[in-house]
Amino acid sequence: MRAYRIKVQGIVQAVGFRPFVYRIAHAHNLRGYVRNLGDAGVEIVVEGREEDIEAFLRDLYTRKPPLARIDRLERKEIPPQGFDRFYIEKSSQEGEGGNSIIPPDIAICEDCLRELFDPANKRYMYPFIVCTNCGPRFTIIEDLPYDRENTTMKEFSMCDFCESEYKDPLNRRYHAEPVCCPVCGPSYRLYTNDGQEITGDPLKKAAKLIDKGYIVAIKGIGGIHLACDATREDIVAELRRRTFRPQKPFAIMARDLETVKSFAYVSPEEEEELMSYRRPIIALRKKDPFPLPDNLAPGLHTIGVMLPYAATHYLLFHHSKTPVYVMTSANYPGKPMVKDNEEAFKELREIADYFLLHNRKILNRADDSVVRFVDGKRAVIRRSRGFVPLPIEIPFEYNGLAVGAELMNAFGIAKGGKVYPSQYIGNTSKVEVLEFMREAIAHFRRILRVKELDLIVADLHPSYNTTKLAMEIANELNVEFLQVQHHYAHVASVMAEHGLEEVVGIALDGVGYGTDGKVWGGEVIYLGYEDVERLAHIAYYPLPGGDIASYYPLRALMGILSKVYDVEELEGIIRGYCPRAIESLKYGETEFKVALGQLVRGINVAYASSTGRVLDALAVLLNVVYRRHYEGEPAMKLESFAMKGKNDLKLEVPVEGKTIKVEELFVDVLDLLEKASPADIAYSVHIAMARTFAEVAVEKAREFGVKAVALSGGVAYNELITKTIRKIVEANGLRFYSTYEVPRGDNGINVGQAFLGGLYLEGYLSRDDLTM
Amino acid sequence: MKIRLEHGAGGEVMEELLRDVILKNLTLKSAGGVGLDALDDGATIPFGDKHIVFTIDGHTVKPIFFPGGDIGRLAVSGTVNDLAVMGAKPIALANSMIIGEGFDGDDLVRILRSMDETAKEVPVPIVTGDTKVVEEGIGMFIITAGIGIAERPISDAGAQIGDVILVSGTIGDHGIALMSHREGISFETELKSDVAPVWEVVEAVAKAIGWENIHAMKDPTRGGLSNALNEMARKANVGILIREADVPVRPEVRAASEMLGISPFDVANEGKVVMSVAREFAEEALEAMRKTEKGRNAAIIGEVIGEYRGKVLMETGIGGKRFLEPPVGDPIPRVC
Ligand SMILES: [Fe+3]
Ligand SMILES: [Mg+2]
Ligand SMILES: [Zn+2]
Ligand SMILES: [Zn+2]
Repeated sequence: MRAYRIKVQGIVQAVGFRPFVYRIAHAHNLRGYVRNLGDAGVEIVVEGREEDIEAFLRDLYTRKPPLARIDRLERKEIPPQGFDRFYIEKSSQEGEGGNSIIPPDIAICEDCLRELFDPANKRYMYPFIVCTNCGPRFTIIEDLPYDRENTTMKEFSMCDFCESEYKDPLNRRYHAEPVCCPVCGPSYRLYTNDGQEITGDPLKKAAKLIDKGYIVAIKGIGGIHLACDATREDIVAELRRRTFRPQKPFAIMARDLETVKSFAYVSPEEEEELMSYRRPIIALRKKDPFPLPDNLAPGLHTIGVMLPYAATHYLLFHHSKTPVYVMTSANYPGKPMVKDNEEAFKELREIADYFLLHNRKILNRADDSVVRFVDGKRAVIRRSRGFVPLPIEIPFEYNGLAVGAELMNAFGIAKGGKVYPSQYIGNTSKVEVLEFMREAIAHFRRILRVKELDLIVADLHPSYNTTKLAMEIANELNVEFLQVQHHYAHVASVMAEHGLEEVVGIALDGVGYGTDGKVWGGEVIYLGYEDVERLAHIAYYPLPGGDIASYYPLRALMGILSKVYDVEELEGIIRGYCPRAIESLKYGETEFKVALGQLVRGINVAYASSTGRVLDALAVLLNVVYRRHYEGEPAMKLESFAMKGKNDLKLEVPVEGKTIKVEELFVDVLDLLEKASPADIAYSVHIAMARTFAEVAVEKAREFGVKAVALSGGVAYNELITKTIRKIVEANGLRFYSTYEVPRGDNGINVGQAFLGGLYLEGYLSRDDLTM
Repeated sequence: MKIRLEHGAGGEVMEELLRDVILKNLTLKSAGGVGLDALDDGATIPFGDKHIVFTIDGHTVKPIFFPGGDIGRLAVSGTVNDLAVMGAKPIALANSMIIGEGFDGDDLVRILRSMDETAKEVPVPIVTGDTKVVEEGIGMFIITAGIGIAERPISDAGAQIGDVILVSGTIGDHGIALMSHREGISFETELKSDVAPVWEVVEAVAKAIGWENIHAMKDPTRGGLSNALNEMARKANVGILIREADVPVRPEVRAASEMLGISPFDVANEGKVVMSVAREFAEEALEAMRKTEKGRNAAIIGEVIGEYRGKVLMETGIGGKRFLEPPVGDPIPRVC
């Protein structure tokens, strides 16, 4: 007889791991116990015959529950203690701060779905049905170990029926912490927007109200959605008016895959992702003609779609006539999604007609994740529900905090050779969002058991609130503080995801603070363990008015053209080719003259090498869009417009030394405006920009003897640009990498920051390398 | 280190210069009251049961004549206002002029007359002076010093949690007017500087609610309202919350600043005062301000809070709250 103590790390709590261990231990005639540890790991003690223990260990790996993941297993022989059976021991607070983690929120499983619609089942039509294989996890967990009293389910004590299932090791709900039923669990209630409760079946009534054209706030898993009938243009317009979102695409939820296929193209990869337990929003290509209202995603060739992921959604569609809802996060622009009932009545009174709320607290806000398939591969735009808190491996062992950038923010916690990116935090220029970030950081440190920090990493931008918050925390905890350049971090995020040691990186995005105080965003960078070097960039152009050039891209266009034309010529070009852009300025003519004056005299002018602003400027010149209402709008609409073009007009962007002279591209475009179709021009400028960056990167890779080219930054969501760069890189015998797990935009920059933090701590790169 | 223009721009860089260079290299810095280390609007010297307040200000404005005023009016107002926001009645001014060779004599007369008129408005005599002529074509610099008498000097560090924040009128007028005039940028309406002495406004409030209920005061000159509020918050270690919609801004100033991409809160005012007063006297203080000619557009713009100590928050309606930071000089775009 032998006895072993086994410690398992990975995703082993909240996934039905203990009952699984219980079952296989019994199957192999072993005695002992299994228990959860306070660091999210599991401890198993087994006694029995050597060959039975071996068989048990084999099963542990091969037959583990679908959501479980074993990263590490330690086995130590101990003296047998003579257990009389195998049992599940009470959880322990102990743990060595290993590398285990609770799982993300999981969409309802097939078994629970079947029971949900089985009239004979105790949980028939019960929206909080769960089992060990599905349901909320990250959003309801307060602390470790994963036990009911450490979740928001602690307020609901189980009835005898639920408890009998919970305690039966052979039941699917054995130790499923959120287990509950209509008798003992949370419930929904329906209210008018002044807080009056409406009697009757709340879900059925809510579905009917949506069918009738009302806007209903629906509390779900990670927050509150605003839902309405997505087939009605007038209702969508009303929702736009009430949420102050004139243009931003609304995500929709469709009843089933068949419905999705009626209005959008779905590739096999997209289908798999759409149906995965993460159930993200996927930006799918619209069918042409598009049978749903245009104002769901105005001016875009894509539509953000997700499938139901909570029982609530299935029930609503069950009662509803319309097969598609708008399902957008409930918040005013820039503020965190509302998640609490009281807050909902306060914040959403003017937006929602009715409120469908439940009485289970949402502890950790988690927005829906958003992905898009770019060049056939998954690009994560917003990494949140379903992904978080899963980590990314990095080759550096340290405890750190990387605070990200500003917009679309997320932070990351580094621990034990991994970075754990947080859920989507949002626009941290808002105090409310920063507060949310502060709380989320504390929560992550708690569930990851990270008390001591070795390093805090922030962006180089001096006025980001995240930079200041990071400094504050560093001071408070007396931890070393490091700033890293924005685009170095973008490139590093690709190295982190793929474990690369050196790359020539292409970082294309909107705005990042450069080491020279200018605004970067069209960069070719060498990044390796020993060195960082900026190899080439878009030639600086002026942005009159600074940030307002982001909202009124005509200013960016004027700035770029001012490098080639004098002020009269510039004025003539704008009046000739895009006069409506002038009218679209808030103060029209006067403002146009002011902006011209700013360019001439250099008043409040920033200098940029941003790719985002170049694309924005082209969108104006081609009369595609004049205003930005949401992040990336002009460039996104330009891409959609370019999708209609087919001919490559073979435009060129000259490169002189380290500078990529995009202003020359504009000269050529002006030349073509009367000869070629605008869509072909739009298509060709994408190809030209991509070709130039790819060729520069290839040349530099040869020069440096590097085998891999990495692409990152928000522009890497662009299909035409990404595909063109990949093809050229591969045609030259180099490997192409972007990120498929870490967001390519600023939502993923924390991972790159954490990677650079590791390089710094291990002495590869110095502070100066990362900031100068 | 080389001195750059930012070192005089009133932001964080200037703050560093003052603390790390100027204050460090001087030793005798106090005459028994508020001294140089306080970096307040002026110094105080105890004198019997009252206090002498002493201040000095250099004026280098370009152009010398601008819509709404000139360097003469600015030089008198600047020093009078520094005294006023210390709670001191202006007693006398000194006037030092540094004039570039070739300066027009008629212009000099115009400037002196303007100084005279402004001084009479307060009223305050100009009792001593100094005149230098230099080779460089600097145009003209005017340095004015002033003394005043305060019963109870008011520092800019006295804001208390629960206080209410008032401004005596529209914000951003001087900075935006000067910039557009200087750069030849024309708007539909001509913008005018607000340059004026504010003793009248301060005195009216003190008479109405008593000096003891004005807890802190500042003139929002260089760095504008943003800088003034941040200094008040930092020095008193309190938070300040203001409501953007309540800060009075002339529509033409708002339009011009939106077109330039420069916040009206970040540019100089030369005829305004910001006060932190005890909550129960806020309405009376407002009324007193509004009764004066220079305070007729006064407004309550926010309050002093116990959270976010050292910081200024601005509520922006449905957009939520953001931090109002002291200006940094050149634009540093951050919108992706
Ligand atoms: Fe970026
Ligand atoms: Mg002064
Ligand atoms: Zn299930
Ligand atoms: Zn129950």
